[in-house]
Amino acid sequence: MRRVLTTLAILLAAGTALAHGPTPQKVDQTITIRATPDAVWKVVGPFGGIGAWHPDVAKVEATGGDGAGAVRKVTLKRGGTLVEGLDEWKGAERTYSYRMSDPDLDALPVSSYSATLTVTPDGDGAKVEWMGRFYRGDTGNEPPENLSDAAGKEAMNRYFAEGLKGLKAKLEGGPQR
Amino acid sequence: MKPARRLIGLAGLALAAGPAAAGSVWVASQQGARATRIERPEGARVAEVGAALAVAPSPAVVAAGPGGRLYLSHPDGRAITVIAPDGAMRRWPVPGQAFGLAADPDGRALYVGDWSGNRVLRLSAETGAVEAEVAVGRDPAGLALGVDGRLYVAERENRSVGVVDTARMARIAGIPVGDGPFALAYDPVRDRVYVANVRSNDLTVIDAGALKPIATVPVGASPYGVAIGPDGRRVVVTNQHAGTVSIVDAEALAVVATVPVGRYPEGVAILGGRAYVANWFSDDVSVIDLAALTETGRIPVAEGPRTVAADRPVPGEAGR
Repeated sequence: MRRVLTTLAILLAAGTALAHGPTPQKVDQTITIRATPDAVWKVVGPFGGIGAWHPDVAKVEATGGDGAGAVRKVTLKRGGTLVEGLDEWKGAERTYSYRMSDPDLDALPVSSYSATLTVTPDGDGAKVEWMGRFYRGDTGNEPPENLSDAAGKEAMNRYFAEGLKGLKAKLEGGPQR
Repeated sequence: MKPARRLIGLAGLALAAGPAAAGSVWVASQQGARATRIERPEGARVAEVGAALAVAPSPAVVAAGPGGRLYLSHPDGRAITVIAPDGAMRRWPVPGQAFGLAADPDGRALYVGDWSGNRVLRLSAETGAVEAEVAVGRDPAGLALGVDGRLYVAERENRSVGVVDTARMARIAGIPVGDGPFALAYDPVRDRVYVANVRSNDLTVIDAGALKPIATVPVGASPYGVAIGPDGRRVVVTNQHAGTVSIVDAEALAVVATVPVGRYPEGVAILGGRAYVANWFSDDVSVIDLAALTETGRIPVAEGPRTVAADRPVPGEAGR
């Protein structure tokens, strides 16, 4: 019964998935890294290179390089695929912006999002900010708990935070064994 | 000294939408649940915050009605908040996901888009009672009233602008536009509708008389708000994803300036030669001088400003 209900909820949500509901939410994560901004950008900048630093990512299929309109299909280790399109990539300013193309509630319980990743100098090191805007998985007025604003907020913040932690670990080197 | 100043502030608030010579703009902050008034007193160089009224949770769209009345939609709360010129508030329940708003200048009706219900409701502007409804295209977003009782509806998932004859509450046309039409504005000077298409990153220009698109102007990433000044010269488009505003010359139908603003700019309104832009992520309002084509200041407001409405001193006329 529970599985039927869950499936139903997902089906209902899928029906409004493109609906880009009316109440957006913020996601904003920042990390400082002991590396130069250029060194950080070399790793995090390539749009199709997210698999090299995000620990949740199993596989990336990317087309279009770092040009506007480039697409990356990011398959997550826990299941689900994020299809994301590049809006703008500015190497000189070490920033790129992208948005979700198709929702996949298995990957993240949100119906749409856009985000920007930016590397800036921070003392001798670098600061990386990953911020964005999203809509809950079910944009109707009575979303089930797993597709609510709170569920979306938790999942998006965790996905961004885990990514930045992975990036930091890759650049600073993991603990010595 | 401070209490006295506060008292004066309150007195100002009581007269909030009275006939202040320069008019004011109101900003709806979604997370902060506030309606904030911004004004630039006659002769003052900079705009300032006049009042920040606490309202029900998650207001999305603010619209100004005649006589200094304000309306706010609450899509998650299925309601409209009505704020009288003296600051008194009423809550009207709405049978749907209330989002887009347009207030009749004659003060009789308020049009409310029901986002997930794919319809527009006509409410009595006196009682809030639903008087009539009309089915429109999928996901009605922005609403704008034109002349002859016509209402234009951005049908976001339909790639169209619906045209409603409000006398009959009938959808008389669907005009093809770009992908993801979200915000629109009506220009009485040229009898045009300008529509911002959030996914195709452009602005569709509609000849309202002919009910036909006449031009498409490329703008920045995710255009999300659009406004036209009373003189009809400049169309201001916010590019939500780019963090910029495109200023389009209505005669040339070309972008004459791209002005950086705050993060995730959304709604915009024009008053007295300035555009006021709600920066949703950075929780402030950018003020843009439309003659100099530059940002002249940023005014902090409550969290999540989404929309802005100009409250002109003389309703229904082109205030300056």
